[in-house]
Amino acid sequence: MTYSLRTSTAAIALGLGVFGLAPAALAQTVVDFTVAEYSSKTGPYFQEVATAFEAANPDIKINIEVVPWDTLLQRLTTDVAGGSAPDISIIGTRWLLDFASQGIAEPIDGYLTPEFKGTFIDTFMSPGIIDGKIMGLPVAASARAMMVNMDLYEQAGATPPTTWDELYEASKKIAALPDTFAFGLQGKEIETDAYFYYNLWTHGGDILNADGTSGLNSEAAITAAKLYKQMIDEGLTQPSPTNYNREDIFNLFKQGKVGTIFTFPMLIPQIKEEAPDLKYQILPFPEAGAKATYGVTDTLMMFADSDAKEAAWKFIEFAYKDEFREKFDLGEGFLPVTKNVAALEHFTTDPDVAGFAAGLPYAKFAPVIANWEEIADVTVRTMQQIYLGEVTPEDGLAAAAAEINKIRGL
Amino acid sequence: MTMSKLTRSVLYWLLLSPLVVVILFPFGVMFVTAVRPRDELFVYPPTWGFSDFRWENFSEMWVKTNFGGALMNSLYVSISATAIALLLSIPAAYAMSRYRFAGKGAYRIFLLMTQMMSPIVLVLGLFRLMMSLGLVNDLNSLVITYAAFNMAFTIWMLQSYFNSIPRDLEEAAWMDGASHLTSLVRIFLPLAVPAMVVTAIFTFINSWNEFVLALTMMRSSDDFTLPVQIYAQVAGRYQVEWHHVMAGTVLATVPVAIVFSWLQRYLIRGMALGAVK
Amino acid sequence: MQKSIPMMMILPSLALAIGIIGYPILDLAFTATQEVSRFGQLRGFVGWDNFAEVFGDPLFWESLWRTGIWTFAVVVGTLGISMPVAMILNDDFYGRGLARVIIMLPWAISLTMTAVVWRWALNGRSGLLNATLMQAGLIDQPIEWLATAGTAFTVEILVGILVSIPFTTTILLGGLSAMPQDAYEAAVVDGASGWHQFRYITLPLMRPFINIAIVLNVIYVFNSLPIIWVMTEGGPANGTDILVTYLYKLAFRFGQLGKAAAISLIMFGVLLIFTMLYVALVSRNDTDAAPDQEDEADDHV
Repeated sequence: MTYSLRTSTAAIALGLGVFGLAPAALAQTVVDFTVAEYSSKTGPYFQEVATAFEAANPDIKINIEVVPWDTLLQRLTTDVAGGSAPDISIIGTRWLLDFASQGIAEPIDGYLTPEFKGTFIDTFMSPGIIDGKIMGLPVAASARAMMVNMDLYEQAGATPPTTWDELYEASKKIAALPDTFAFGLQGKEIETDAYFYYNLWTHGGDILNADGTSGLNSEAAITAAKLYKQMIDEGLTQPSPTNYNREDIFNLFKQGKVGTIFTFPMLIPQIKEEAPDLKYQILPFPEAGAKATYGVTDTLMMFADSDAKEAAWKFIEFAYKDEFREKFDLGEGFLPVTKNVAALEHFTTDPDVAGFAAGLPYAKFAPVIANWEEIADVTVRTMQQIYLGEVTPEDGLAAAAAEINKIRGL
Repeated sequence: MTMSKLTRSVLYWLLLSPLVVVILFPFGVMFVTAVRPRDELFVYPPTWGFSDFRWENFSEMWVKTNFGGALMNSLYVSISATAIALLLSIPAAYAMSRYRFAGKGAYRIFLLMTQMMSPIVLVLGLFRLMMSLGLVNDLNSLVITYAAFNMAFTIWMLQSYFNSIPRDLEEAAWMDGASHLTSLVRIFLPLAVPAMVVTAIFTFINSWNEFVLALTMMRSSDDFTLPVQIYAQVAGRYQVEWHHVMAGTVLATVPVAIVFSWLQRYLIRGMALGAVK
Repeated sequence: MQKSIPMMMILPSLALAIGIIGYPILDLAFTATQEVSRFGQLRGFVGWDNFAEVFGDPLFWESLWRTGIWTFAVVVGTLGISMPVAMILNDDFYGRGLARVIIMLPWAISLTMTAVVWRWALNGRSGLLNATLMQAGLIDQPIEWLATAGTAFTVEILVGILVSIPFTTTILLGGLSAMPQDAYEAAVVDGASGWHQFRYITLPLMRPFINIAIVLNVIYVFNSLPIIWVMTEGGPANGTDILVTYLYKLAFRFGQLGKAAAISLIMFGVLLIFTMLYVALVSRNDTDAAPDQEDEADDHV
């Protein structure tokens, strides 16, 4: 049993240490690192980094715990509540504000040297800055874009669209093809709201107005929602969007059944592996008055209660070495967060990466506000009701905006 | 019944067949998905057929998901929890069955109440408890928790069985001069064995399949039990290796299914004791 | 000395139960009256505020109602199927052993994995359920089972029944095996029909077993998270949310631990009231299977 081996080893080490007999190597600092699992490669990758670090720093031991994303927040909540929080962890940046406001996150301005700070791309650094303090480092980043199936477009005699009107017209043609769906619309589980934001932003709308109230009942939002509903009603999307989560939509695309989807760069390695013959192309989101993309980052955060901060920081600096970041970004399909990796040939010349990175100048991020999960849930619920035809877009969005304002206390 | 056994059998199987089909359906899905080549996972229209028996899916899965380790963890936890639950339940059930004492009704209601709180609801409190006991990430935290949660059921079950063992046998032994302890061990326990086996198997299976508490208490993937390890393959990844997931589930189910085929024999023997007067 | 023997025998089990389960319950009760940070840090006594918030939340009442439907449908459905199945399995026929093993099979997989497999099979386009139904000619278009709350909830209830059958059948089978044969023989001699035998002999004798099956099933089903969570996470649009899924979201997504604790206590209260009412209702009709005269007065349920 691993645990008992570890316990007895620790016991022996402690005993020897007490009697001063322990060689220096046994007096180790242990850094607990919770790693959120993106794919089956994530765990082994970080283990590799840890082993390399331990070889160079024999007095520090890195203890890696791989946790699936779906249970990460539950796990961290229980950990903090029980007083056994790790030293560092990967978290969703959308949770960072809550962690920071509760005093759980440790500001890292004090540890960050100007040189190290300068290696990061500013766009990705900014979501981690709360109240002027840097509360974590970007560890994974993506921007979103539209992906089209060129074969289907050719077959239907349509051209890849640049505006929503063009998308609508092209979809009508593709939907006429047998056993094919024109537009993949996600209606279930995580990021159902994001799928709507893509639409909302490119119509000139915003999640929050300048005064902080919800932007869901704006003209742009209603137009956007009506457009989605119309596409569903006219059979331009796959049937019953509320039964399709993100993975389902992407699977449909990989099977070659869908003409257009909105997606992230992490889909590319999957396509290369599972559908190498698929002729896809990456394009910016269709516009209807504004350009936009959705920037998402995950943050590497240090815990305020950690008793191994120096050692943890040493490990963080080590883990951000170019060779490791390159391997991580390439393996998982993320966009690079550091300038050196972004300058690598692959990332500058690869057309797919360029397609996703092209939107970065107009990238919008999820608002950094308290209760974001609850607010996102209201949006998801409303969109589902609209897709199912249970409420009209106007009524649904008005109710949602009211509820969100109430949550925000505005 | 005036029908011949053959007619009866045919009739019964006919009546049971819809249920049997629905029960076997998910197992069929699991098996077919587990032995498929990976690129056939998402074919449309979906079929039951597959081009190749990819037994390698099982061996890949075994390595990739540390199945062997998780299996050992599950075995340790389930067997230990069952042992402790039985150890504590047998005297309690005996007392409930054979004695009259104050607080008996209250004890019974208390046990029932322990079943009413779902572990999910208690997870934070349990975690804090385990923290203070220093047992987090220790499989023993699961052992004592499972034993505690299963106790209401094991005590009830054992008590029902014990009630059906006639007291006269023991009383006869007392008449003959045997002490209470001797009669307990020599006469009562042998008769109670089938009951204990059945109860043990129920507890084992409940512990084997438990998920939420294992997910919360076990922190590193080396220490995961089987359900958690398999779930970890599905939860929150960008891309799920469904063939591995199903292969893992199939393997996790087989030992339990084998145990069931023993169980149903004991079920008859144990239950039939009640009919013995 | 005589009095304390039984006490000593129940003491270890009592200690374990109180220790492991009692502490979290107290912790919960305490938390429910506090304002709690998202990480369980207690911020101050707020009395009944959490409860007031809960009672003012329309989603709570919807979830409560739906939990009632869920529990009732699954328990009644399970009982309705398990009773005839148990009676069949009690009789002697060819392949009975095999039938018993098959009926018990759903118990062999953890609830979470069952839900995962069914969700996979219910997939609109690549799921084998639609494929099988289409091949059998029963439908001609794939059905999106989990797309709307109506169909999704129905499917979830059916799966709930399926996984509850092994447990209930086992309990009922136990009761049936303990049936005294003489009563039946006497009835046959008196010319009683099959239905008569069932109604006047089997059912009354089975009552204690049916009762325990109902009480335990109600408790387990009421609190059951995995099936609904894995299939729809309580959606779409909270349409399949029951109390425990709603509770999970409140606690671990929105970080509202005080409110979640309050709901937990309410759920406990509901179950407690149900159990006490039910036990009181049926205790008059009950006789235990124990031949022991002394215990008959005490052994209820």
